[in-house]
Amino acid sequence: MNDISPMRRLAPAAGQTTLAVADPAQPGVAELAAVKIVVRELDFFYQDNQALKKISLDVPERHVTAIIGPSGCGKSTLLRVLNRIYAVYPKLIASGEVLLDGEDILDPHYPINRLRSKVGMVFQKPVPFPMSIRDNIAYGIRHHEELDRGEMDTRVEQALRDAALWDEVKDKLKNNALGLSGGQQQRLCIARAIALKPDVLLLDEPTSALDPIATGRIEQLIEELKRDYTIVIVTHNMQQAARVSDFTAFMYLGELIEFGDTEKIFTKPDKQQTEDYITGRFG
Amino acid sequence: MNTQPHDHIVKSYDAEIARLTGEIARMGELSAAQLDAAMDALGKRDSRAAQRVIDNDEALDAQEHQISNDVLRLLALRQPIARDLREILAALRIASDIERIGDYAANVAKRSTVLNMSAPVPLAGSLGALAQLASGLVLEVLQAYRERDAELAHSVWERDAELDTLYTSLFRELLTYMVEDPHSITACTHLLFIAKNIERIGDHATNIAENIWFVERGEPLSDPRKKGVGVFDLD
Repeated sequence: MNDISPMRRLAPAAGQTTLAVADPAQPGVAELAAVKIVVRELDFFYQDNQALKKISLDVPERHVTAIIGPSGCGKSTLLRVLNRIYAVYPKLIASGEVLLDGEDILDPHYPINRLRSKVGMVFQKPVPFPMSIRDNIAYGIRHHEELDRGEMDTRVEQALRDAALWDEVKDKLKNNALGLSGGQQQRLCIARAIALKPDVLLLDEPTSALDPIATGRIEQLIEELKRDYTIVIVTHNMQQAARVSDFTAFMYLGELIEFGDTEKIFTKPDKQQTEDYITGRFG
Repeated sequence: MNTQPHDHIVKSYDAEIARLTGEIARMGELSAAQLDAAMDALGKRDSRAAQRVIDNDEALDAQEHQISNDVLRLLALRQPIARDLREILAALRIASDIERIGDYAANVAKRSTVLNMSAPVPLAGSLGALAQLASGLVLEVLQAYRERDAELAHSVWERDAELDTLYTSLFRELLTYMVEDPHSITACTHLLFIAKNIERIGDHATNIAENIWFVERGEPLSDPRKKGVGVFDLD
């Protein structure tokens, strides 16, 4: 049932780790993009309930991949498998392969600390820690690295700059982060995630609680961040998926129905189910 | 008219698209009727009937304006994608083609009133056949639009070549008249422009066919085009 990535078809000789991807900035010009995450035959169970069914998907490096689908289709579950966050709950079982840079992160021997430093996640509701803006960023870094105060200040500033928040908070770094607006809090969470210099950013409906201006800022930020990060975003907002992503995966009832160039998915998808979903029809 | 296998969750969206496609179909029928009426007025040398055709063209212009507004509203309020977007984009283009067909019909009527001011000339034999063929193509492409029949649209698209061929032979026929009798040059020149107008109507019918194909198949209709033999392109 699952479609193997159309990118793979474009570069059959390139094998498992590279693929041809149309550069959205240069229409018609194909560039070679590495595959950052390879998902193969992934099944996932919440006890007896199978939430993901034989998912196979290639996530290209330094591009934005959107996962869309109705509630309960398994998109958030898939996102949670990509950083093994499900492992904190008992009786949840994933089988198949999820290769990050060629290594299977589902392997219990894969160190969770390494995974957490390589894969950052931002959730639907901004959840800043009840501490200063500076400490929100520094908190995670301290778990992984020992830095002196000067180095830490530099890292905090860089993360806030990268998250397009620096100019708004540079004079109040010691203020409590809970005093920030919703949109600022969400960018703070993104800053916190990228402060650890991950390779992959997982965004789970990052703007569903934000107003259109804050949403626009986050979307602009995603555009900038994809130069350095592989981004996977789950969103219920179809237009947002169309705006921010390079590739789109449509999931339904735990299955990957269609995966391809965002432009193709939103103009002429191959599957009627995809068409029905994106145009707002009953399937 | 619902052109998708499944309904929108928001029913008013379907209703708005159905209204839009209904307006297009009505506008198309009016344009075909305008051509028939113009040819009838030409044949009967009836300047009053021709004037009615000219006046009716305003109704087509108003309909096109209405469709543009509806498309604008649908784009702004519904943010259509995929097939819905093609459908709405095609409606805008098709309305513009139909409006041009109406303009050509009005042009035929205008020239007929000029012709009526001088002595009658025998109508070139193939002019009626040319108009009938063009009108048939318009009606057929409208049927293809109503029924979302890409194959029928394709057949209209191919048959425009027949119109081109007929136009070319008519062109030669009128040239012969003019050579034989220089007094007929003025009238024949008007007839030549009328023939060209009718030939252009066929081109707009093929544009509409291309848009129907695009809505249905999501790709342009781009087979190597069969052109009529020895076409003079005098645009």
